[in-house]
Amino acid sequence: MLELARANSLWPVTFGLACCAIEMMSSAMARFDIDRFGAGVFRPSPRQADLMIVSGTVTKKMAPVLLTLYEQMPSPKWVIAMGNCAISGGPFVFEGQYNLIEGVDKLVPVDVYVPGCPPRPEGLLEGFLKLEEQITGKRRFPGPVERC
Amino acid sequence: MLDITKAELKAAFADLSIIEEDYCQCGYHLSVDLTTKDILDVADFFDERHFYLAVELGVDYREYLEIVYIFASHSSLCKVKVTLKLDPSHPAVPSLSKIYDCARWYEREIHEFYGVRFAGHPDMTYLFLHEGIDFYPLRKANVPVPAEDKELLSSFSPEQREDALIVNMGPQHPSTHGVLRVVLRMDGEYIEEAYPVLGYLHRMQEKMAENRTYYQFLPNTGRMDYLGAMSFNLGYVTAVERLVGIDVPARAHCVRVIATELNRICSHLLWVGAYLADLGGLSPFLYAFDDREHIQDVLEAVTGSRLTYCYFRFGGLYNDVDEAFIAGTKAVIARMRGRFPLYEKLVSGNVIFINRTRGIGVITKERARKYGVSGPVLRGAGIGMDLRKKEPYAAYPDLNFEIPTGRNGDALDMYHIRIRDMETSLDIIEQALARLSEGPFIIEKAPKKLKPRKGDLYHVVETPRGELGIYIVSDGSDKPYRMKWRVPSFSNLMAFPELAKGNLLSDAVAILGSLDLVIPEIDR
Repeated sequence: MLELARANSLWPVTFGLACCAIEMMSSAMARFDIDRFGAGVFRPSPRQADLMIVSGTVTKKMAPVLLTLYEQMPSPKWVIAMGNCAISGGPFVFEGQYNLIEGVDKLVPVDVYVPGCPPRPEGLLEGFLKLEEQITGKRRFPGPVERC
Repeated sequence: MLDITKAELKAAFADLSIIEEDYCQCGYHLSVDLTTKDILDVADFFDERHFYLAVELGVDYREYLEIVYIFASHSSLCKVKVTLKLDPSHPAVPSLSKIYDCARWYEREIHEFYGVRFAGHPDMTYLFLHEGIDFYPLRKANVPVPAEDKELLSSFSPEQREDALIVNMGPQHPSTHGVLRVVLRMDGEYIEEAYPVLGYLHRMQEKMAENRTYYQFLPNTGRMDYLGAMSFNLGYVTAVERLVGIDVPARAHCVRVIATELNRICSHLLWVGAYLADLGGLSPFLYAFDDREHIQDVLEAVTGSRLTYCYFRFGGLYNDVDEAFIAGTKAVIARMRGRFPLYEKLVSGNVIFINRTRGIGVITKERARKYGVSGPVLRGAGIGMDLRKKEPYAAYPDLNFEIPTGRNGDALDMYHIRIRDMETSLDIIEQALARLSEGPFIIEKAPKKLKPRKGDLYHVVETPRGELGIYIVSDGSDKPYRMKWRVPSFSNLMAFPELAKGNLLSDAVAILGSLDLVIPEIDR
């Protein structure tokens, strides 16, 4: 019961990093409307949020800030790694790079990975559904594979 | 103007070698090679003649380091490249920060990336990097940071006075639009001093450019300024075409203009929405994003992406536009024309909005020049410089359009300019659509491997935020030897500490918003 309530009211922290943040904003707007899943209440303070969407490249200068934010969030808490940069460093990995964390899972535990550069808003929504499934053990809608 | 400058320069500095360059090839008219003792006098010379310092950068040629200054004029087409050669073991130069305010940040950047010391610079602390990086990243050889330089770099401490109240804004703050950090020293509710701290999204783009071929670097451009991705893409493509000497078909030129202008509208729409949200009005945000989606649909159909476009190729386009694109663009024009009255009603006449922005963050013509600001911020200050008119590229030379300029240079003016900029963009798209001719969209034999000429080039284009300058040094191979991006938000942000001084904390948000910053572009 508690899980169901949590899954239906994930409150993300307003934490835009790079390009993916714009797609995150798009998914909160009228066309994609993340509010349908109860996840549209973006909180500027991590203390009021239980979900962190890491939407962009995490640099070594940013890493301590990200960790502080994560630690400030009350448990239970979840993390979505949005976009290739947050998953693995994406297009900015090259030999001799000096300023990149190659994947945010090196810093905090990640629950759902959403690939893309940047992912479409639909991709992020699917990420939310996956996270809900992880929390409640049941999927809200039939997935794209089961439907056909 | 060019002849006068050359004559005066010769008269003032008799022993200088002034070389006239081919503007079409290099992007500047004159080049002057100096020794360090002359640089302050030469900078004074340009300052007296109302030139602005477009960019200051470093290049590592292994045997020597070179500092390049590009001076340009707002009123006429006259660009001068000034170079200084330095000894790589102990590079030191007098600082220009007393003459040009914008030199302050450029010199900090050169210092931390190349290890050049600037004599007389007030603040040499870290701007982009952090203590964890113990070498100079853009030097070709591995040069460790000496201990005394490290101490100097990490000496940032805003809490010098005991009674000072420090407010830290960002890097996670909704109204900094990304990961900008501003440390504010307050006197009650008023700002005494603002120190922006950058580099939270430094993705090493300039280092990457030296590691990749011209083709491989193409997708990076869209990720630098994700809102004006098309403009950055266009800037890079036109710069490399100019370096290699590729002619582009007329149809490609027209489509490039249409796509770039559509993207410009998208960018300004997001600004309108986000700025109003910063000031407390959330509904324009929803309307603006709705309009954006319609434009993105049209662009997505031809480019394949929604945000980080990489549509242009050297010599043309990735693919041709079809009838659906043209019909869609026409529909967007009609729709947007109908939406402006709505924004007018919703925002422009709103008393709260006007009172929060009128007379806030006023930048004068003189200060705008000293900081080298560009784009809508510069036009808001009353200098009608638009590179689409001044140094036209792609199909812009054939098009007719007005450049909106402001009078007061406050945040309200910058809002009006961006709204009128969108209307201008619609006019441009309409004209470009009418001129769209049948023909190839890419040159027949697009080279697989580029063979650029040896030498350098400074190429500029107008992005939604202002002057984007790309300085490329080529050694003749298919990888750039050095690529410097002179990005508009960087110089616009430089003016922020001065604009914020003495204002209320809540107005700092209004000022920061009016500059329209995109952080990955600043940090690169």
